[in-house]
Formats: sequence, C-alpha cells, structure tokens
Amino acid sequence: MSVAQERATGPAALQRRGRFRPGDAVLYVVTCASALTGVVLLGLIIHEVLSQAWPAIEKFGLGFLTTQAWGDNGNTLFGARSFIFGTVVTSLGALLLATPISLAIALFLSELAPRWLRSVVAPLVELLAAIPSVVLGLWGILVLGPFITGTLGPAIHGSLGWVPIFSTEPTVGSNMFAAILILTIMIIPIVSSICRELFVGVPAELKDGALALGSTRWEVIRGVVFPYARAGIAAALILGLGRALGEAIAVTQVIGNRVAINTSLFDPGDTLASRIAGQYQGADTALQVASLVYLAVILLVFSLIANLAAQLIVRRVAGRHQV
Amino acid sequence: MSTNAPTADLFRSERMRRRRIVNRLVEGAATVAALLAVAVLVIVVSSVVRSGWGAINVDFFTKTPAIYTGFGPRPASGISSAIIGTLIIIGIALVMALPVGVMTAIYLNELAPRRLAGVLTLAFDVLNGIPAIVLGIFVFVFVVVGHGQAAWKASFALAILMVPMIARSTQEVLALVPASMREASLALGAAKWRTTLSVVLPQAVGGIVTGATLATARAAGETAPLLFTSALYSDSVSYDPRQPIASIPMFIFTSAEQADPVLHEQAWGAAAVLIGIILIASLIARWFADRSVRRLKGER
Amino acid sequence: MKAFVTRRKRPLAVLSVLTVAIATAVAISVGGAQARSSADELKGAGATFPAPLIAAWQQKYEAAKGVKISYNPIGSGGGISAITNKAVDFGASDAPMTPDQFNSCGGCVELPWALSATSVMYNLPGLPNNLHITGPILAGIYLGQIKKWDDAKIKAVNKGVDLPSLNITPVYRSDSSGTSFNYTTYLNTVSRQWKSQIGRGTTVNWPAGVGARGSSGVSGVISRTPGALGYADIAYALKNHLKFFSVQNRAKKFARPGLAGIQAAAQADRKFNPQSNELSIVNPPGSKRFARAYPICTYTYVILRIQSDKANLLKPFVTWALTSGQQYGRPLIFQPIPKYVVTRGKATLKKVHS
Repeated sequence: MSVAQERATGPAALQRRGRFRPGDAVLYVVTCASALTGVVLLGLIIHEVLSQAWPAIEKFGLGFLTTQAWGDNGNTLFGARSFIFGTVVTSLGALLLATPISLAIALFLSELAPRWLRSVVAPLVELLAAIPSVVLGLWGILVLGPFITGTLGPAIHGSLGWVPIFSTEPTVGSNMFAAILILTIMIIPIVSSICRELFVGVPAELKDGALALGSTRWEVIRGVVFPYARAGIAAALILGLGRALGEAIAVTQVIGNRVAINTSLFDPGDTLASRIAGQYQGADTALQVASLVYLAVILLVFSLIANLAAQLIVRRVAGRHQV
Repeated sequence: MSTNAPTADLFRSERMRRRRIVNRLVEGAATVAALLAVAVLVIVVSSVVRSGWGAINVDFFTKTPAIYTGFGPRPASGISSAIIGTLIIIGIALVMALPVGVMTAIYLNELAPRRLAGVLTLAFDVLNGIPAIVLGIFVFVFVVVGHGQAAWKASFALAILMVPMIARSTQEVLALVPASMREASLALGAAKWRTTLSVVLPQAVGGIVTGATLATARAAGETAPLLFTSALYSDSVSYDPRQPIASIPMFIFTSAEQADPVLHEQAWGAAAVLIGIILIASLIARWFADRSVRRLKGER
Repeated sequence: MKAFVTRRKRPLAVLSVLTVAIATAVAISVGGAQARSSADELKGAGATFPAPLIAAWQQKYEAAKGVKISYNPIGSGGGISAITNKAVDFGASDAPMTPDQFNSCGGCVELPWALSATSVMYNLPGLPNNLHITGPILAGIYLGQIKKWDDAKIKAVNKGVDLPSLNITPVYRSDSSGTSFNYTTYLNTVSRQWKSQIGRGTTVNWPAGVGARGSSGVSGVISRTPGALGYADIAYALKNHLKFFSVQNRAKKFARPGLAGIQAAAQADRKFNPQSNELSIVNPPGSKRFARAYPICTYTYVILRIQSDKANLLKPFVTWALTSGQQYGRPLIFQPIPKYVVTRGKATLKKVHS
C-alpha cells in the first residue's frame, strides 16, 4: 500500500474519523437554531397578539363575539359579531363557488385535456395565483363593482330576487357579493393546483381497472379518483378556506365596510381581516386598538384551526399512502 | 343460448347512452370551468394592461408621486419612489429569509431526528398559513410600537412570510439528492458539514433559487404587512431602510380608492409593473425548477 | 471529469454572485442613508380634510424656504396616533383631542390652523348643483329612514326639481375621521333621535349606507354610484366635480359651503377650549349675523409635541401656515382664519421647544 493509502485507511485514520469535528457542531447549532425560529416565531406571534388584545379581552370577555357594535357609546363599545358573520359568509360563499370550478379545472388538467392544451392552460391557472391581492382589489373596485351594479346584480336580483340572499338591489359596487367573487378568484388556483397533483397521483392501475370494466371517464373519476383523493381534496378545500379567511386587502377594498348583518349579499358588510386593515392606521384610542387586535385573535384562531386541520389531514393521508 | 345478442345491444342500450351523455356533460363542464378560469385571468390582466398602458411613460419610472390639489396644471408624476422602495424592501427581506430558510431545510432534511423534523415542519406549515394581516400586527407590536416605522421592519414581516416557502422548496430538492452522494462523500472522510455544504447544497441550488423567487414573487405583492410598517412615507425617493419608504402595493392601495381618474390610471400602471416583476420572477423560478429537477432525475 | 466539475460549480457561482450583489445593494443603501440626511424634511400625517391645503403649502413652502414637507392623509385618528407614537413630526386632525388622548400623547399641544366647510355631495346625473337639504333630512337619510330621492321631505324643499325614484346610498367614513366628528356633531344638533341613538365621534356605528376610507374614498364611491350622497371637505367636491347641497341653517336660509358661508359661521365661537384650543362652530344660532352661515363648518388642527427635535423647523412652518399660508387656501375654499385664532396659535406655539 502506498503511503497515502496507508494514511487514508490505516488505524490512525479510523480514529480520526470517529473524532468530533467542530465544523459539524457549528453546522448543527446554526441550522437547528434556524429551524427553531419557526416554533419560536409561532409562539411569539400568539403571545404578542394576545397581550396586545388583552385590555379588550379583559373588558369585553367572550361577549365580544356576540356584540354587534363598533365605536358605539362614544367609542367605548366594540363587538365582533357582524365581522364574524361577514368572515364566515364570504369565506364559505367563496368556497362554495370555488369548489366545483377548482375540481373541474383539476380534472380537466389531469384527466381530460390533451397534452398540448394542458401545457397551455396549466401555467395560466397558476398565473391567476400570482396576481397580488391589491391588484385584484383594484380590479374589483374599478371593473367588477360597476359590472355588478350595472349588469350582473340587476340580472340576478331580477330573476332570483325572491331568494333572501339576493333580495336587495345592488346600488353600490361595494358589497358582500363582490367580496365573495374576489375571494373565489383567489381560492381557485390554490385548490385546483393541489387537487391536480392529487388526481395525477392516483395509481394508474386503479383507473385502468375501472376503465377495463367498462366505465366511462366520469365514472372512473367519480368511482376511483374522488374516493382515493377524498382526504386530499378536503385538505385542499380547507387550505383554500384558510386563504379566504385571512384575506384583508382585497376584501376591504370591495366590501363596503359596514357594521351590519344583512341577509342580502348585495348589501355591504365587513370581515375580521378587512376591518383590521381598514381601521388600524387610524385607531386613536387604546381600547380601539386592543379591540382590533382582539379581532386579530379571533381571526388567528379561525385560521389556525383551518390550517392545523388541513395539515393533519395531509399528514394522515401521506402516512396512509406511503404503503 | 338466448336469441338476444347482448354484446351489440349493450353498446347501444338506453342505459349506456345515458351514461355516455353524462360523461360528455361532465367533460364539457370541466372544460368550461377551466376556460372560465383562464377567461378571468385574461380579463384581469387585460384590464391592467389596457387601463395602465396610458400611464406608462418615461415620467412614470423617473418621477415621484405628486399631490394634485385640483387647481392649476397637474405636475408630472410617477412611481419611481415606489419601485425603488419595493426593490429595497424585497431585497432586504430576501437577505433575511434566504439563509434562515435554507439552513432550516438543511436541518430538517439532513440533521434532525425524524420526530423532531415532523414537529418543526408542522410549525413552519402552520406559520405559512397565518394571514399576512396578523403578521403585520405582530411585527407592529413587536418592533414598531414606540420606535417608529421603517423599511427593514417591513422586510422583517415579509421575511416571516417567505421563510416557510423557501424552506419547503429547499427541503423538496434536498430530498431529491440521492443518498449515495452523501454516503460517498462521508466514506471519503469528509465531515458532515463539508458534505452538506460542498456536495449536497450545490445540487440543490436550482430548487433554492426556485423557492426564493417564488417567495419573492409572493412577498412583492403583499400589502397588509406594509400597512403597519412602512405606510408613513415621504414622496421623495429614499434609500434609507431605517425610515418608512414607498412601495408599489401601498401606492396601488391608496390610489385605488381615490376619485381621481389619473390616479386610477397610475394605479393600473403600477399594477402592470408589479405583475411584470412577479411574472419574471415566476418564469425564472419555473426555469430553474425544471432545470434542477431534470438534472437530478435525468442524469442520475 | 473537468467539465462535470465546472458545470456543477455554475449555479453556485450564480448564487454567490446574486448574494454579493444583494449584499452590496443593501450596503450602499445603508451607507447612502448616512449621506442623505432627513434634516430638511418635516413629516406629517393625519386628516384628509386639510390635505388639499397642505398640498398647496408643501409646494409653496418648499419654494420659499427650501424645507420639504411630506404628508400622509390617513385620517384624523391616524394623525393622533402617529404623533402619539412619535412616528411623525406633526399630526393633523379635524377632531380636537380628548383629555385621554392628551394623556396618551404625553406632552402635546393642539392648535387650529385652517378653516373650511364639510360639504354634503351627491351624485344625481342630469340634476342641477346646489339642491336644497335640511339637517333633519340628512339625519333621516343616515338613519336609514329616508330611502329614496323622491321622498316627500326632500321634494318639499326642492320644489320644481324632478327628483328620480332612485335609492339613496349614504356614504360615510369607515376610518377614524375628524370629518365624521364634525358631521356627526352637526347631526346631533339637528336630530334628537340621532343624538340619543348614535351620537358623535370620529368612529360611530353608522346604521345605513356604505363606508369608504378617507375623503378621497368617499368622493370616489360617490362619483361611481348614482344616487349616492356623502360628506367631505368642500375642496374634494370641487376637485372631483361633484355636486353638493345648500344646507339649511338655523336662520332658515339655505347656505352654500363657500368662503362667505364659512366666514359667517366662524363667528359662532370665540372661546377656545383650554387644552385643545377647540372652537366649535357647527350649526350657528339663527340670528341675523349668521344668516349666511353654512351650518357644517369646522376648524382643523395641527398637533405638535412640546419637545421635538425638529422644533426649529416646525415652529417657522406652523407660523408661516398660520399667516402667509392662509392666502393659498382661498381657491380651495379654506377661509383664512380670524386674527384671534392666529394670535392664540402663536401663543400655543411658544410652548414647543427642542
């Protein structure tokens, strides 16, 4: 053996390899610290937001959730009821509209479209996700709003005016309906891209088996793809819901900023995130600031629940399909 | 054997026809939905381009926003301060987020015990889902209250937004690096840290760039954190990150709700610039992603 | 083997170049920041009401004295909180600060520096400007009780005008607004129901209508919505070519929000609030002296910290604004403030030091 080989593989070298390397320790510490920032930040965020909201939590307690007021009694009474209502209605409404469209898009891009069309349409749908929310809000104010008051609203109100949610005539472009449409546009790319990956991941044998038994494409989808991807679709929808819950900027631009619970979607309203965005800059009393952060606490609870639910579903599905 | 010929009738039977009609309907509906999404995109982007085109000229990129009282000649104005501000804020955010994201991914993928990695990954995924407005409030309470707004504080908020995305993208590409490479390097006597930095990381650069540009594209369009950290800015061009500076999303946000049609046009123009930046970043990300995945999968 | 190594090194090279470039840019920016001082700049934030006048001041003052003024119109509440948080050198608000706010501010003074009117604007295509309206009708509209333009009450004060059967959309300020404070103070004086049910403030619980941010936001919604009605400084109505009402004052005359109407109303209060220097001139009495008075006028105030590093720039600026600056307000319908207000302002300004 040459001297070099002796040095590389002899007993001294073996001892060297087992020795502790300071570089390893540095790498370990530095990267571990980075990784811990996630948990640390999460804890910090929850702590800071809670402590800033504390004066309002102390003063109003859980009654805040059922009070419908904002700045009443000489700027001393605040309540979140109308905003919780607005958040729930706009997010669920957007989810309702976005679910069939997103699933259809995902099916189109994974099963039904020819390859050339797929490579054209897929990047375009992803591009929809890249449009910043403030630009969508700008479009909502200047294009969608007038469209709703001029064409879409009267058409819907005229034909479906007997339905409570369309019972008033949209006189102004800022209303809940506009917010729902904008949120739908935001949710669709997220849900459809996740669902598309899910559908692509369905094992070919299962689909082929169904086809061999004489199913039509739709029956394959309904009988094989959807059940297989069921949990993943649920997770995708919940993630989309989480996005809609937290959207502040585009919503505050188009929703009309009203503290009210109205049955008609053509009336203005407000959501938790939108009220925070609209009022935080100008909050001039400590109680108002604390109440706004209390809204943020409620919003945080909602989005944490939605997020954790989606993550747990994803992990459970990943574990199951690892076989 | 019966006199019926089931095979021929089976194809033309009533039930089969109905099933095929349903199939056609669903396929049609799916196509319509996809085209609807594309149509919405086309409508929004064409609105931006059509309405913003008039605002885009040399002044737009070289002059700062000017306040117009409504009387007298309108001064020439543009969004130069906003463009520079956005570049500075995003740049600092990237400098803050990239190392943290990459090192987090290294830890979670290479060094951490499995259980811990799962918990920490969950924490980052949850962090990813926190609404930007709540992040804005957090940063406001954490560093702005009592100390004033600053561009670097806006970058800090955006960095919190970017780290989970960069970490996840880096993790994915690190996982693609074959174990054999790591083992070979270790077998040759290299330390773990040497292996990671000189052997594994260079392989993952494509994925890191992808994640970084995607995160940048997302952060460039976020307005909510800016409301709390860099909203009280002056109209002149400023390079000082210790002061609040203008940014394109804030410009669009404040101009959109005004009544002045010229400001609307400038808002559309600014939106076009913003979408342009995001588009370029996404294209770069996509190109790097394709390249790195191709190399890691194809060559090995 | 050699090509394999070089090809692998390329993305790393790109990444390191990028990092170096970004780091350099950051270094330049931080370094450049040292060179470029903000010593000759005053930063302000607050009410949207005086924003048109402050815009004129920005141009004229920089031309005259070389000091740059920057102003962020984020609403009166925003101005109060910005000066409280020391985020700006001066704050502006149409609403006087409350004793609690003075406590939070920790050593601030407030003084009136401009005077104008809150116009009530409307969007009725084809109809003339300066239609008539009364306080009780406005209260009824904002309470959600009067819903259509051809309501009998509106018709009664606008004889001969063909009012359409259009829905009224009242627009209010969704942010913390001194103009809201002024407007709700007025509604308090003309409607007992409003006073007991809603009250006045920078933020109130508006029972009807749609919200918008800033005076510009209100103008924006009105200009886009036929049948809409809302309140903002008269300068916004003029700037955006919106029609505005002649409002009935206590002398039963329908007054326009012009310089004459504001000047008449300004005589209604000469007693300054000791802490905030507030002068409340809303809905002046019905005597002959106030026959031309427009009932929804307001002073707007500047808020300064008693101890400020920029005192040597602030004091000249505010003095200039109180004196030479007033003339630039005329075309924007800001009535020059009376002499006794200038005197009081200068006396208050003496308290500011560095």
